[in-house]
Amino acid sequence: MLAYATRRILATVPLLLIGTFIIYWLTAISGDPLLKFATCTLCDRSAYDRIIELYQLDRPIPVRYLNWVLGAIQGDFGPAISQGMAEASAVVFDRTLNTARLAVPAFLIVVVLAVTIGVYSAVNQYSRTDYAVTSLSFLGISLPTFVFALALQAGAIWLLNTTGWRPFYVTGMRTLASDGLLDMLRSHALPVLTLVIVITAGESRFQRAAMLEVINSDYIRTARAKGLPRRTVILKHGLRNALIPMVTIWALDFAALLGGSLVTETIFGWPGLGPLFVGAVSVQDLNLVMAVVMLTSVLVIVFNLLADLAYGWLDPRIRYE
Amino acid sequence: MRANAARGFGRQAWDRFRRHRLAMASIVVLILLAVAFIVGPMLSPYAFSDQDFTALNQGPSLAHPFGTDPIGRDLMVRTFVGGRYSLRIALLITVITTLVGTVIGAAAGYFGGAVSAALDQFINLFLIVPSIVILIVLASRYGSAPNAIAVVIALLIWPSLARVVRGSFLQYKEQEFVLAAKAAGASTARIMFRHILPNTFGPIIVNATLLIGTAIILESTLSFLGLGVRPPVPTLGNLIAEAKGALQTKPSAALIPGAFIVGVTLCANFIGDGLRDALDPTSGKD
Amino acid sequence: MATGAAAPLLEVEDLAVAFRTDDGVVEAVDGVSFEVRPGETLAVVGESGSGKSVTALAIMRLLPRSARITGRVTFDGRSLLELPDERMRTVQGADIAMVFQDPMTALNPVFRVGAQIIEAIQVHDASVADEDARERAVELLTLVGIPEPRLRVDAYPHELSGGMRQRAMIAMAISNRPRLLIADEPTTALDVTIQAQVMEVIADVQEATGAAVMLITHDLGLVAGTADRIQVMYGGRIFESADTDTVFYRSRNPYTLGLMASIPSAATRTSRRLEPIPGSPPSAIALPSGCVFRPRCAIATEACLEPPALITVPGAAEGAEHLTRCHRASELPGALLAASPEGAR
Repeated sequence: MLAYATRRILATVPLLLIGTFIIYWLTAISGDPLLKFATCTLCDRSAYDRIIELYQLDRPIPVRYLNWVLGAIQGDFGPAISQGMAEASAVVFDRTLNTARLAVPAFLIVVVLAVTIGVYSAVNQYSRTDYAVTSLSFLGISLPTFVFALALQAGAIWLLNTTGWRPFYVTGMRTLASDGLLDMLRSHALPVLTLVIVITAGESRFQRAAMLEVINSDYIRTARAKGLPRRTVILKHGLRNALIPMVTIWALDFAALLGGSLVTETIFGWPGLGPLFVGAVSVQDLNLVMAVVMLTSVLVIVFNLLADLAYGWLDPRIRYE
Repeated sequence: MRANAARGFGRQAWDRFRRHRLAMASIVVLILLAVAFIVGPMLSPYAFSDQDFTALNQGPSLAHPFGTDPIGRDLMVRTFVGGRYSLRIALLITVITTLVGTVIGAAAGYFGGAVSAALDQFINLFLIVPSIVILIVLASRYGSAPNAIAVVIALLIWPSLARVVRGSFLQYKEQEFVLAAKAAGASTARIMFRHILPNTFGPIIVNATLLIGTAIILESTLSFLGLGVRPPVPTLGNLIAEAKGALQTKPSAALIPGAFIVGVTLCANFIGDGLRDALDPTSGKD
Repeated sequence: MATGAAAPLLEVEDLAVAFRTDDGVVEAVDGVSFEVRPGETLAVVGESGSGKSVTALAIMRLLPRSARITGRVTFDGRSLLELPDERMRTVQGADIAMVFQDPMTALNPVFRVGAQIIEAIQVHDASVADEDARERAVELLTLVGIPEPRLRVDAYPHELSGGMRQRAMIAMAISNRPRLLIADEPTTALDVTIQAQVMEVIADVQEATGAAVMLITHDLGLVAGTADRIQVMYGGRIFESADTDTVFYRSRNPYTLGLMASIPSAATRTSRRLEPIPGSPPSAIALPSGCVFRPRCAIATEACLEPPALITVPGAAEGAEHLTRCHRASELPGALLAASPEGAR
């Protein structure tokens, strides 16, 4: 198992290098930091030189990239120009925690919700609840995250304007430490709800489809022929098999969560990775962009690997040497 | 009942599609929306950038059914024009993706080997470096024109269609009619395009239709973030961005374009679902 | 091969099963009546679509909820169709057990074979301890002829060969000493040499437990040596029913005779051609009018536009009923021989 995991990780390294190089290159050629100096009348030559040294603008891009890789391996991602020269890795780390405050609860809720809805829908196929769920999930996958987030925000604002009642905060992050439990929950509610609804919509369809396929399998009929109670048939024999393909979906959903968080954070004024990344790209803060990219890529690789390992653990027909 | 065997495949497919009431309704709605987008602005007394200084920042009213923006422009016209662009971009994305994805997928499926392996690596690449990241970087640099953003987005989503086409070609190339064609001396190109490809139209069409929804969502998200199409060219996405600041006082300005996005995507998804039932009834997706 | 004059174990009266589909109502089984006596082997033979499997699933109450079942099924004096679900579950897997066609898909791939057998035991008797159940599982695997049962009890289904899997499924089915074992095409998914082995296992199991067996198959030749009685089904109806000898040597039904003419046999003269019955079985959605076999029957006449009833053939041996459904039963097999030059048998 360990050998398999190691091999998998090694296999992703070349792709990781290619991917990060592409992004590095694209971002680097996007803008010219020296442009600022063309119009800067108060700047002197030394600032100009410093910029060149900082960005290594006198070297070709592949060389700069290599230096970046060397630094990255040691955990040094360089200074973040747009964040007052703070360590890019430190900035990213802080923001990641903020994003995790949304992503982790959302992911857990999504998994539980999607499984429940999917199983119920499949077991009660063609019932009114099934039709309702199917229709809602169609709506959910047709709803861009930002539209839904705005709708929630508008709804909360309307509620405040008409009734003076403010159950949820619409912008900003509040923490347990600085604002107390209630305020923290009130500020987390809407962003988490956005992520949960949008992702559950898509995932419950997969879960339903996986469960349906399982329910119509021969071994379910055998289980019933043995006289097993319905709950055992559905949960022990059915769900157990249906979860196998779901594990892969969960790994993909994690990537979706990253993307969804991006937009959600922007709208709810959440100081997470999303706004950080968008801002960094806009001003071509190369180090910051690369730091975020590395982080997200590594997370996706890890999650995919975990999903594969879980797949192998759940399905005895798959065994990795 | 006996008549089933006598009807052609197309007729049978159409019958199956007709049973999907939501898909049928969606076609009608989509046509209505498209007509509204294209013809609507021509019928309105207001031009796209006309400013009515007597009606600044208004909510929906008789004179301005969707309201006006802070500098007095009629939002209904702007929304419809934005819809035009969004629809056009989404269709362009779909066409590019379908063409590129089909060609590469067909090659990967039929020839296997290097092409197939390369496709796999592409797919893995987009899995590892989250496509949203690549999208943002590309879009911010190249995406300001409608056609450019279409290319950028298409560049990122073609692998999924290619994978579907590859699977189809893999399945069909082993079948006997291909063997028969080869034995009769047909050239590779002829086998691929004349014999195998028509069999794969079903999954291609279904996936392409569903892509329309994905394309609209991606484009509007990017435009909303300010990274896609930028003003003055309107798309539903950047119209929402313009209106988001006024959420307190005039949520309709943001929500109405949003509703149109959802509407078009929902229709595309229902139609795609209906097509799936019609063209590929054994696909098992209930 | 015991035949009992005792009261029937299973009595099916006028069983009918209909499904509602997008294309209309499908009558898969149309008024079938038969019985199974304790300890006997009843073979239910028919082509696909004859309704034989649906009959068995109806008895076991394993059909989907959309199926409309009418008629009466009595097992050991108890009416099964009206039993509430929890009561029926005490019957399933205990009094009546079922073995299915494809053991690869019929066994749950993520659980070990032994665990699945243990589950079958413990659901009907929660007081059985895990170790005891495990011992019993090993015994059962031995009974069905699986080598190294202590090892195999921990195997996953995909780690066993096709024949082993089917034996394991049989072991699981008899784990609670059912009095009736329904085997739905138990050998169809297996290689020919393995088929004979599995049939032997079923016979062994029957001898060891005294269970009655309802063997469902499309292969008339398969049951020649093992069945006490044979029931031929076609188009959702019983076409002929009699003890094995009578069916093979004194059949009064053109369909049965046609089936036998299409069996390859090492004993027949090498110059005899196999005679398939022309055409294919009817789709249950669109059954032919009159006798459902009429379009494929070599001796069909005007009279066959009226559906024939199931009649008793006179002169059958004591206690052995011979039923057939054909207007021209009394003219068989002569009429068929005359109609086809190669002869029916």
